[in-house]
Amino acid sequence: MVEILEETTGKDGRRILKVAKENLVQLMKDLKDQGFVHLSLITGVDRKDKLEVVYHVHNLEKNEVLVVKTETLDERVPSIATIFESANWDEREQYDLMGIVFEGHPNLKRLFLPENWVGHPLRKNYDLSKVQYINMDENGEDYATFDPGDGW
Amino acid sequence: MNVLLRLAQFFAPLTHYPAYILAYLFETLFLIIFVMVSLVAMIYLFRKYMARLQLRIGPNRVGKFGTLQLIADSLKLVGKESILPAGRDDLPYRIAPIIVFLGLVLSFALLPYGQFFYIGSLTVTNSDVSLLLLFAALAIMPIGEILAGFSSRNKYAVVGALRGVAKDVSFEIPMMISVLALVMMASAKTANPLNLTNLVEVQFIPYGIPQIIGLGVFFIAMVARASYSPFDMSESDSELVSGHSIEYTGMRFGMFYMGLFGSIFLSSLIVSLLYLGGYNGPFSGYAGFVYLLIKAVILVLISFTIWLSVPRIRIDKFVNMGWKYLLPASIINLIIAGILTLGVGI
Amino acid sequence: MMNTDISKPDEHGWVELNMGPQHPSTHGVLRLKVKLDGEIIKEVEPVIGYLHRNAEKICELDYYCDSLIYFDRMDYVGAMNMEVGFLEAAEKLLGIPPPERAEWIRVVMAELSRIASHLVWAGAFGLDLGMLTPFFYCFVEREKILRIFTEVCGTRQETNYMSIGGVYQDFNDKIVHDILEFTEQFPKKLEDIFSAYVKNDIFISRTKGIGILEPEVALNYGVTGPMLRASGVEYDVRKAEPYLVYDKLNFDIPVSYKKDNLARFLVRFEEMRQSIKIINQAVKKISDGPYFNPKAKKSLMIRLRGEGEVYARTESSKGEFGVYLVGDGGVKPYRLRVRSPSLKNLSILPYLAKDVMIADMVAISGTIDLVFGEVDR
Repeated sequence: MVEILEETTGKDGRRILKVAKENLVQLMKDLKDQGFVHLSLITGVDRKDKLEVVYHVHNLEKNEVLVVKTETLDERVPSIATIFESANWDEREQYDLMGIVFEGHPNLKRLFLPENWVGHPLRKNYDLSKVQYINMDENGEDYATFDPGDGW
Repeated sequence: MNVLLRLAQFFAPLTHYPAYILAYLFETLFLIIFVMVSLVAMIYLFRKYMARLQLRIGPNRVGKFGTLQLIADSLKLVGKESILPAGRDDLPYRIAPIIVFLGLVLSFALLPYGQFFYIGSLTVTNSDVSLLLLFAALAIMPIGEILAGFSSRNKYAVVGALRGVAKDVSFEIPMMISVLALVMMASAKTANPLNLTNLVEVQFIPYGIPQIIGLGVFFIAMVARASYSPFDMSESDSELVSGHSIEYTGMRFGMFYMGLFGSIFLSSLIVSLLYLGGYNGPFSGYAGFVYLLIKAVILVLISFTIWLSVPRIRIDKFVNMGWKYLLPASIINLIIAGILTLGVGI
Repeated sequence: MMNTDISKPDEHGWVELNMGPQHPSTHGVLRLKVKLDGEIIKEVEPVIGYLHRNAEKICELDYYCDSLIYFDRMDYVGAMNMEVGFLEAAEKLLGIPPPERAEWIRVVMAELSRIASHLVWAGAFGLDLGMLTPFFYCFVEREKILRIFTEVCGTRQETNYMSIGGVYQDFNDKIVHDILEFTEQFPKKLEDIFSAYVKNDIFISRTKGIGILEPEVALNYGVTGPMLRASGVEYDVRKAEPYLVYDKLNFDIPVSYKKDNLARFLVRFEEMRQSIKIINQAVKKISDGPYFNPKAKKSLMIRLRGEGEVYARTESSKGEFGVYLVGDGGVKPYRLRVRSPSLKNLSILPYLAKDVMIADMVAISGTIDLVFGEVDR
């Protein structure tokens, strides 16, 4: 068993477990063995001084959704894409929009935005006044520029 | 009396040769006009019929009941810029739509149309091997489609052309074998069964009745030839966008479009000629063409209903069907036709 | 930026083909990078984000009550379900429960919306397979539902009908009458549409045994909704964790154990029949009373403050729709995260569409029921 830092109950009555990010992978493996086979959602929350990653895992037999939380100061969290396939795109999305680097992810590319987009929009310090334009190159790949260019 | 003689008679004051030259020219012109008019009528009928099936109104803005809609559409197509893809193979790309349209008009020229009141026989070509000529002309249209697919340098078009080839190969053989059964049956009654006129005129009982299997095989082959749903794999809009005609715009696309509707009408005419007794009927010496037209239009409506109500079959399943079901069925049909001809003597 | 020439075959002899974002059968702006070996698909890589608006960020910049309209625009064919999903979370966080009458009204509207969404899917699935006509029959029926929506809230599609603490407009006798009239004639029309599909041999041959999805794989990929139920997992949030008043209603969860395209088709049609059952019960059970919680009056709405965190699950027409809402005590949400079922269901496509023909991939992506407002958000 891994060490649980804190166990609380949320406003909606769901159990919230807090773990250190080193123990995350082991905890997820344990949870999957306990019947939490469905990873519902991965959320990154920007707490300004640190990044919080929230996992909602779901046990169909017990009909329970468990919330697992971990924190990181250096934007790096171990990936659980090898345990849950559904984490693959979720982690890509959180990397794209929140800038959390999931270490060990098989294909950590941006999911929605072009590869060379500057910044991560869901961060609290993201500058909304800077407009980036998306264009398409010859191979049909998108790229982002600060220059309006011809297409705009 | 036929159209040619009537026309020559009309131009008789200009000595023999000029009269016949003019007669041939005008006959060709009339044929093209007939093809165009029937295409316009077909497309209008299709739109209205489709709308009726789909709880819609259909074209109703241009002209009374939208009758002039197609004129407006074709003017629009003519006025559109014909965009040429950069990587094309130029000559095949340009001639492909022309081949399709030419094959269509050529096939129309080879059909016997029967008698029509004062004018007499409307048949354009009187050849002893018009059946062979007809199927040779029918084989021209797919060539245009395949050329279009390969020359426009588009992956969708190439896949569409490949599908088209696979499709053609798998239905042509059953189709020809079922035609062979017809010729066999007709050879008992006439000395020259390869002449379409003879083939039609010996049908006291329409051949669709003794050769019901052959009718089925031939009709399926004709649906596949015209390539509409369920056999529109080569231009399936939900998979290959529009297959071989994807890179065509303007009137070049219009030619493919006309080729599609033209071949529906053409296949209905051929099926009604070969299997449903064609223009035979009471007073066929006067109104034979009308009978043919009625039969063809009924078949066209059946084709439209099929088109609108069934999903697309997968290409491998179609090839499977062609070799595993249509081919044995056509051979069985051939055997039955042989037994009927030799044993029973229909 | 890649510089490889995609017009030539690669080292396996596979050709790369771009399907979309402008392609008739990708239901919007999905782009599929497909590696083809002749007709066989060797690899699929979905590329998404062409409709990305970052609704999560926009919601963070707005008051709680303003966020609702962005949810309408997520699953725009079943907008009421999205509203229910957001309000489940927001009302728990803000502590403003709706009165019971509003809950009944929400159930009726959500189920009507579910039927509308499934009808759009059924028609579009026919188009994917090359069937033109049933599409219009589906849309005629859908239009009747949208008429009811127009009658209730003035808009057809992006309704913005519900609000924190209740609904904007009360039901009146005419609306109840319209709904009952619809539910009376709809089952017969539904059977017509149903038989247009399943009585067709080609349709069966295109769907049966194709796109088989094992339940373990489905759960591992996070697939929910009708797709999961067609794989034989009896899981529906309406039963598992009843929200609104679903626990007071009598209905069944359709499950199929065949796992293929046809199973997903049948499950969705059965869901429509069950929705009619729910609507018929709910309309009769709508209780008297206020339809709006007075704590959430319009003038007070922008002063609502929430603290803590809530994860609310609802069953939208596509699957489990989850909203994770974090409040910091201010008037705006601190973080809002949406679990969009379409996105999760789309992630199964590379697995399902491996080594199938192009035509089958189109059919499989048709059964996923994608709505791009929701996938890209």
